[in-house]
Amino acid sequence: MSAQTGTPSFVPPPPSARAIDVARNSIRKAKSEPNPIWIRELKQAARLLRTPYILMTLTGLVAWLMCAIGGIGSMVGNPASTGVTLFHTFFSVAFFVVMLVGPALAANSVASEREGRTWEAVVLTGLPPKAVAKGKFMSALTAVSMYIVMMAPVGVLPFLFGGVTATEVFVAFVFLFLFATLSVAFGLAISSKMASGRTAIALTLLLAVPITLTAYLGLGLGLSFAAHEAWPAVLAGPPVWLPTAYERAPFSLEYVTFLVIVPVAAVALPAWFFYEVTVANLTSWSDDRSTGLKRWFAVMTPILVVATVVPAASAPVSEVYVGFAIAMSVMFLFLTFAVFVFVGEPIGPSRRVLVHWDRSKAKWLTRFFGPGLMRTTVLVAVLGVASLAAMGAVGMVVAWLSPFVTSSRNVQLTGVAAFMLYAAAYFLFLVGFGAWVRARASTSGVARLMLLVAIFFSSAGPWIIAAIAGVIADHPGADALVVAAPSPFYIFVLLGALNDPNSEFVLAAGAICAFAWAMIGIGLMAAAASKSKTIIARHEGILAQAEQLFAQEDAARNQPPEPAAADPAEAVEPGDQPAAEPAPPTQRTP
Amino acid sequence: MNELPASVKLAASQPIIREPVIAAPSSEFAIRVRHLWHRFGNFDVLRDVTFDVGHGEIFGFIGPNGAGKTTTIRVIATLLEPMAGRVEVDGFDVSIDPEEVRHRIGYMPDHAGVYDRVTVREYLEFFADAYRIPHLGVVEAVLELTDLAKLQDKLVVTMSKGMKQRLQLARVLLHDPKVLVLDEPASDLDPRARIEIRDLLLELRSLGKTIFLSSHILTELADVCTSVAILERGSLIVAGPIAEITDRLEQRRAAMTGGAPPPMTVSLERSASPPGSVAQKQEAQGEPAQQQLVTTPAGIPVPATARRRLKLRVLTDPNHAAKLLENGPGIQEVAVIPGGVLMIGYVGSETLVAQIVHHLVINGVAVVGVEPERNELERIFLEVTKGELQ
Repeated sequence: MSAQTGTPSFVPPPPSARAIDVARNSIRKAKSEPNPIWIRELKQAARLLRTPYILMTLTGLVAWLMCAIGGIGSMVGNPASTGVTLFHTFFSVAFFVVMLVGPALAANSVASEREGRTWEAVVLTGLPPKAVAKGKFMSALTAVSMYIVMMAPVGVLPFLFGGVTATEVFVAFVFLFLFATLSVAFGLAISSKMASGRTAIALTLLLAVPITLTAYLGLGLGLSFAAHEAWPAVLAGPPVWLPTAYERAPFSLEYVTFLVIVPVAAVALPAWFFYEVTVANLTSWSDDRSTGLKRWFAVMTPILVVATVVPAASAPVSEVYVGFAIAMSVMFLFLTFAVFVFVGEPIGPSRRVLVHWDRSKAKWLTRFFGPGLMRTTVLVAVLGVASLAAMGAVGMVVAWLSPFVTSSRNVQLTGVAAFMLYAAAYFLFLVGFGAWVRARASTSGVARLMLLVAIFFSSAGPWIIAAIAGVIADHPGADALVVAAPSPFYIFVLLGALNDPNSEFVLAAGAICAFAWAMIGIGLMAAAASKSKTIIARHEGILAQAEQLFAQEDAARNQPPEPAAADPAEAVEPGDQPAAEPAPPTQRTP
Repeated sequence: MNELPASVKLAASQPIIREPVIAAPSSEFAIRVRHLWHRFGNFDVLRDVTFDVGHGEIFGFIGPNGAGKTTTIRVIATLLEPMAGRVEVDGFDVSIDPEEVRHRIGYMPDHAGVYDRVTVREYLEFFADAYRIPHLGVVEAVLELTDLAKLQDKLVVTMSKGMKQRLQLARVLLHDPKVLVLDEPASDLDPRARIEIRDLLLELRSLGKTIFLSSHILTELADVCTSVAILERGSLIVAGPIAEITDRLEQRRAAMTGGAPPPMTVSLERSASPPGSVAQKQEAQGEPAQQQLVTTPAGIPVPATARRRLKLRVLTDPNHAAKLLENGPGIQEVAVIPGGVLMIGYVGSETLVAQIVHHLVINGVAVVGVEPERNELERIFLEVTKGELQ
């Protein structure tokens, strides 16, 4: 039942495992019990007087721009090219509107509730953080969709000129909605952390503007050339190439992979991440804030492995290790990002989480994906190293079998293996250092800062030392650069020296440093595990002490009162202390 | 056919919202705070705070600004995690089962915000949906109970502060909580709105709700509260029924007068319902403590056991008047103050005051002034606190 919509209660039918029944019941439930936050915000939005004016102004401006371009284009070129120009212009403008307005609208949602002091009332209703996140997400998405729908009539103007098909326009609108989903999820993730609406909007726009520009230039303009290479019917240069590729590329495995799976995954997986971040930020510190993000990481990692390995393996290049080095670099960057995300983990699960696990008889997998520094460290380390190893293994197979390899296959094999080993070893160091510093830092912010400093010094430090010592200037050549072998960027020196027959020294230095990074990482992980164990044991000891005190008090209280009348003068003195002092506040929750 | 009162409608329209996931623990007290500590940075905001609130009580939580009242309330309301100690609401630990606690409390913060561009009815309907209340009649019942039915189509932002406070109270009643936690509910309100809120609280208490109330307006707390706790610099100074605290203070004064070492404070951590008391036995059997109510001179129903004071000015011999009153029914103490003034401690209603005066007059005592002392709580507060801020 919904009091807001007046819909009757949804009476669930007998449970059914059939997918169609599950979907049907979900739709019926969503209809009868719509998200209360979504409905309330729709009502509020409907009363906001400025929205129609903003929408009208924006639509008018876009229409004026389109008419101006169409008018000029029709005088200097043929109608079809004018239609294509208008198509690209409209969807470029719509892309920027969606990518900037969406986050700004979403950024104000949770932060404004906190600022307006309405948030606590929502929390106390017992609405789960997921329901709150969904409600906020849907209301912001509805608002952004209104912008798209208002501009849609202008978007059909290219039809008047030709050169664009209905499929292209339809696909372009579908992707516009997908980008809206991503942008709203991004804004919501930031909003969920902030306490002020203005700050949230400012920060969101500060991040959204460069990201949007980079995405437009890189994924739009830049990838259009790669798309042209793959499918010559797609023009090189125009940024809105994806709908054109849908229409003009021949249907094949590549079509499905690069035009359907990869774009959808590229939008859905980050949106999922932002959703999990939002839910985690809306969840109490003592609740399970980790499972969602760890589940996302466990799914994202193999998908990214496939997404990076497939292009590297299928590229018709002679230097296989170069393609795989790029693929592993992307993977390494993702894994480093994951280390930063998970360095915020609590030392161990809170008492509340433990009690709930016990009550629900949680299995080991549930517990493994739950909060806790060391179990998260193990997950990140194992998945990270395994994914890099898998990529390296595929790379070596491709290097051995690829018909495009014209140079020495040993060099290709060595290149892939060296990159994989160095990346995995340095990654182990990062994971270990992150865990170690988290186990000692008072807050996750401090741990992240320390990790950033460690990355900077380990990456740039050896080069700075080499530069100060004059090694680079005085001794040109790869051998002189072994001073910088501890830096992860040294791997590129190593790859450059592969074709040099006298590169053993360079390789040996790289191998020694990689080994050292891995050993340091494992050592730090062991130290972090020991420290975590100590903290958890101390915390449990304090809890046990408190429990003992409460039990003693209860026992004393339940005893029958003594018959002797109390002397009024024997009131308890202020200095009197309880028999057992309760544990003073120590660390919050391990 | 007579119209049912709103309170009855509310009670009738409240279905079981959700079956508890876990078995409900025995709830001897509505609220139980034990050795609560909290710290912001390196600063201890709460230091070993311990008190209990019995079922069906109106419990006043008093303290100077910065004493830690709001921190305690936020811990009780599950909005803040206790760093050490245990807080239970209706037997549920706020650290372990905050969801269960949230089903059982209605928390109204001070200066709570409201949503723009929604009407009173829409505001309540939203929270009814958020609480997943499967009954449309609840909103109507709450509107009627809080006397907001006439304003149901009014936009919330256009309402006065008093009406917004009333709306907040309506919000926290939607899910029929057992315990109401109200942080400064009468702050920034005009006298009429304060009286209305106070009357509403008394009506809610008659519905069996436990009310935990913090306020700076001590006279109003004295009118409605059955027990109080006073907090200063993060430490609990005193807790218990007002009459008991008064007694203990007097015992302390007596001890100091008699040359005994002066205790600096009275006994702490006194349970609102002492062990073995009738109220506690009733609570242990799952019944709310039933206390007989009498009406104060201000017209406010209070527990009959609450002791009050009366100042009488007489023209004739005050010692004679004192003798006439000693050991009378309901009279607990009579003290003679120079200047022809009698201070009388009594337990009872306005009728007893009239009886006292009548008794004196028919025995030839010329009574020229009768001043019921209302704000005993202010006296207690000033006596036990040191005026220190943290």
